[in-house]
Amino acid sequence: MTLKGGATSACAACKYQRRKCIPECLLAPYFPADQTKVFQNAHKLFGVSNIVKILRSLDPSQHAEAMRSIKYQANVRDRFPVYGCLGVIRQLYYQIQMLEEEMHTVLTQLEMYRQHHHHQQQQHQHQHQISSMADDVISQLELGMAPSNNALPLFNQVTHQPYTMQNTYSSSDIDSPPKDNVENNSLWIQHLFLDTNNHGTSNNDSPIAIQSQLLVPNSEPLADTQHQVVQDYDEIHPFLDSIDDRQSYIDTKDAEDSSSSEESLKETTQLMVGNVGSKDLKNAAACFSLTSVN
Amino acid sequence: MSSSSYSSSPCAACKFLRRKCMPDCIFAPYFPPEEPQKFANVHKIFGASNVSKLLNEVPTFQREDAVNSLAYEAEARLKDPVYGCVGAISVLQRQVITLQRELDATNANLFRYAYNEMPPLRPPPPPPPPAAGQSSGFYYPYQWNDPSDEDNERSSGGNM
Repeated sequence: MTLKGGATSACAACKYQRRKCIPECLLAPYFPADQTKVFQNAHKLFGVSNIVKILRSLDPSQHAEAMRSIKYQANVRDRFPVYGCLGVIRQLYYQIQMLEEEMHTVLTQLEMYRQHHHHQQQQHQHQHQISSMADDVISQLELGMAPSNNALPLFNQVTHQPYTMQNTYSSSDIDSPPKDNVENNSLWIQHLFLDTNNHGTSNNDSPIAIQSQLLVPNSEPLADTQHQVVQDYDEIHPFLDSIDDRQSYIDTKDAEDSSSSEESLKETTQLMVGNVGSKDLKNAAACFSLTSVN
Repeated sequence: MSSSSYSSSPCAACKFLRRKCMPDCIFAPYFPPEEPQKFANVHKIFGASNVSKLLNEVPTFQREDAVNSLAYEAEARLKDPVYGCVGAISVLQRQVITLQRELDATNANLFRYAYNEMPPLRPPPPPPPPAAGQSSGFYYPYQWNDPSDEDNERSSGGNM
């Protein structure tokens, strides 16, 4: 319905109701003449009188937002006649639940990778220390220098650290699981020994089953290695005693006896490499005699 | 108000409307007399005639769900006359967007760890909440567009 001489036409609400659209029409700003379907939806769900009632109960500054939500609600009801906005809410809840579950899975995997990376870094650091210490000791021995008083502890450290590292590996794996729960350990193990491709569906039974399967065989090699390291340590111990004696001897010798010093160095290296035998005893006696001459 | 010829009491709708509850009353199965507030809310927001028309357009086996959804929307509109149940939709939609962003960032971190063995980046901070009173942060997940009407949500909100 158009006003005579006026440029504005009746709003969709007044057009539908076939009445004159006055300038003070509450619904005119929100239902332009070209949005008949939108108005029909709102009218079908709420009714004009109920919409006006809602608007009149609100402050004029809130009318725009209220009408926006009313139109949206009516359009959704037109699209989903049974569930309307409640269906949209339920769908969003479901989406959130799925996203949270997926986030939990991804965070678990990320934690596994972090621990693995951290352990790798520790191992690299230890290996670097071992190699640098071994280089220092060898270089000192080659130069004929008395190694520091920490030679024995150095060797102790050299042989002991792998034991410690592996001990750390096993303890962090079994005794002190990550902060979350055992499932993280199981997934970490799964990553280390299997090709992981974990996705959304999390099955608590299978990771734990995998953990039980993997931990049992995993512990045995560790025990064997630890035992082997201990044995190696025991075998080295007698050599350490002899090396100390030799080195103290080298310190007290005269510098002019270079040949004998070279010989003693050779003997020392032989002692380090091979077993103590009769040949070494003879050499020891020879050194003693030389010392007595001086 | 109960009829002597019928053993069952009138439904909440007929009680509220003060009319005779007929055997074929469309409201009776879904508005029991023990829940008077349910119909009162629905009637206040939507009106009994609109609800009746809506129920007639829906198959019988889905009418209970339709009534429950209408009751939920009516109660939400009474609690929040401005946004009604659409306010909850907006909040949930923002939550979905935030979670999706975080998940994308975490997946990117995981990818970096898995294939590059690099330390992970920190997840991006969540977007700041919109200032009070701003309507621009209101999310309407379903943009309803009618080709004949060319409805546009942004065009609403004109001055009186």
